[in-house]
Amino acid sequence: MSRRDLVGATLSFPALALFALFAIYPGLRVFYLSLFDYSLTSPATFVGLENFRFLATDPRFHEALLNSLFYTVGTYLPALVLALMLAMALHRRMAGGGWIRLLYFLPVATSWVAISVVWRLVLHPHGLLNQTLGLDVTWLTSSAAAPWALVIMSVWKETGFFLILFLAGLSRLPREVFEAAQVDGAGAWRRFWHITFPLLKPVTAICSVMAIIRGLQAFSPQVVLTDGGFGTEVVNLFVYKTAFENARMGRASAVAVFMFFVLICVTLAQLRLFRREDA
Amino acid sequence: MPRYRHYRRLSVIAATLVVGAGMTAACGGGDGGGGDGASTGTVKLSFWTHTHPPMIDLNKKLIAEYEKSHPNVKIEYQTIPNTEFGTKMLTSLSTGAGPDIINMDDNALRGEYIPKNLLAPVDPAGFGKSSAAEIEGGYVPGTLDGAKDAKGTLYGVPSEFNGTAFAINKKHFKDAGLDPSKPPKTWREVVEYGKALNKAGHKQAFNFLYLHSGWYSQWFQTLANQTGGSILSEDGKTPALQSPGTKAAMNLWVELARTSGIADPKTSSRDATAPYQDLASGTQSMAIVYPWAMEQIQQSNPDTYADLAVVPLPQADPAKPVSRVYGYFWAVNNASKQKTEAWKFISYLASQHDRWLSDVSFVQPVTDWQSSEPAKKTPFIDVIAAAYAQGRYDQVGPHWNEVQDVIRKAVDEAVFDGRPVDDVLKEADESVRRSIG
Repeated sequence: MSRRDLVGATLSFPALALFALFAIYPGLRVFYLSLFDYSLTSPATFVGLENFRFLATDPRFHEALLNSLFYTVGTYLPALVLALMLAMALHRRMAGGGWIRLLYFLPVATSWVAISVVWRLVLHPHGLLNQTLGLDVTWLTSSAAAPWALVIMSVWKETGFFLILFLAGLSRLPREVFEAAQVDGAGAWRRFWHITFPLLKPVTAICSVMAIIRGLQAFSPQVVLTDGGFGTEVVNLFVYKTAFENARMGRASAVAVFMFFVLICVTLAQLRLFRREDA
Repeated sequence: MPRYRHYRRLSVIAATLVVGAGMTAACGGGDGGGGDGASTGTVKLSFWTHTHPPMIDLNKKLIAEYEKSHPNVKIEYQTIPNTEFGTKMLTSLSTGAGPDIINMDDNALRGEYIPKNLLAPVDPAGFGKSSAAEIEGGYVPGTLDGAKDAKGTLYGVPSEFNGTAFAINKKHFKDAGLDPSKPPKTWREVVEYGKALNKAGHKQAFNFLYLHSGWYSQWFQTLANQTGGSILSEDGKTPALQSPGTKAAMNLWVELARTSGIADPKTSSRDATAPYQDLASGTQSMAIVYPWAMEQIQQSNPDTYADLAVVPLPQADPAKPVSRVYGYFWAVNNASKQKTEAWKFISYLASQHDRWLSDVSFVQPVTDWQSSEPAKKTPFIDVIAAAYAQGRYDQVGPHWNEVQDVIRKAVDEAVFDGRPVDDVLKEADESVRRSIG
């Protein structure tokens, strides 16, 4: 190791130490706790895989998984498609383009809690959404509507995040390819489908991985808007209630471990899918 | 070379500072309920309550008075929003942190804190008494049961003892041609009166408050007490949600909130930080209330308060009136390093029972509380006193927060989604079995 490397390693030590203390250790501790029955107040009792067995047959956990899945697909599929469409429209230079991008990004920069509080008013039976659309839907107090209410709000909030990523990707595409295709008579749709979309695959891969992670880690809007009622108790909210309201730390840790592996598997599958199609 | 030496020195200093700061933060958090102040001779006590403006005001006054008469005592008072209060308190107490003094409801005390040994038994010395029995002798018999374990050990004294009553808006009644001096005595009459109120334009005749699981559970137990139902069996070991009495309670809730059509539960205010908004704003005509709610409305909406009357809780069977009581108790963290000092302060708070009644409408059920001057001046105190006589504490059991979540889900599905009561209670029964099993 050169002296320069040594200095670099030394300088990185404080950050690594903090990371180990506040990220690696708690993470490992969760794995450990998932094998115990632990309520904070009494010594942890080793139960092996009992927490996982319980979850495998727990209807409430199954419902939370389905709710998370619905929220993730319902929110992030439209958000990604919308973001790509908007990016295609906005990446060309146009008057006020910067302002329009900023407007789309504003919800991303605002906290989930603040946005959720505002949307509580929007989604009230006599709120803006019903009045504007002439509807009579009780968005937050019905199992049929509440999951959709969260999806609508989240699509509105999250589209801007992916818009920025797609815009960054589009700005790096080589112009000459598009010019050549245009000269060859390729229309706008063919240019998008055969050139833009394939070239954007690395960005799309990142966006889809982030979308799945963000979707499965959702928590704040469900807490603020419905507190998990009416079919909106997602996995992270289930973990929170299990751990901190019901003091079942072992069971909550088991869910966290399970979701860790789910996320790892889904992410690897996504990356592999994009890599294979890319090859 | 000198440049590298400079970097090395800098990196060592930085590493030492950062790791040192991290270790200090990691090791220094949570002193088990306030420092002991031994080095300065000052006793620091931490005290947490939920948010209820009139209560907070009086707490601040009493703290100032106590600190003035006890210059060596410093009390750090913290209020926590109602929606976070239970979670934050349970988590902090469970980890050995948390305040020296807590103020918490009997459900949490009996369901979570006492079974988990998070609280210290009452220290008679703090009250200047020789035994817990002597302290108990100063209260109406049975009213301290909300802070006892199965063996009868006492863990707190009440800051408020609430009976359940019913509020009606006299103006709305007159608008509908109803006589406010003849309030509904049964739930059947509540529906009949509600229809008359609807015709007079008061569309929210009667509503429950749908704030969080604890509120759902308390309404459910209020109704179940009257219909002969319960959440758990008598021995607390099995769920009883499919018993006829419990089904009757849920059916009654569905009828009052949904099928009778006397109000739309979906438009009910659900802001837990300010309950009773609809009654206070004059939107709602009838509501189940507690003494503190009336004080809160008097302060926030005096005009509406003038239109309200507090009457006995309607019954399923008026021949056998049953009510629900609950209490908040001052108690001491078992991890506190200064328990006796904490009990001394609690003793002072408890000694001010007349002010709690006059300023906050909190009844502290000391012997002969009804003959106190503030009680005589409280307009509806006779109704509350009668409710105490008919009242019973809620049933609680292991993992009670989970059970309350189950009740909430069942009510949401039956009342808001319109699912059949039998189906939701069958699922709820199974969920409770898994929780307590």
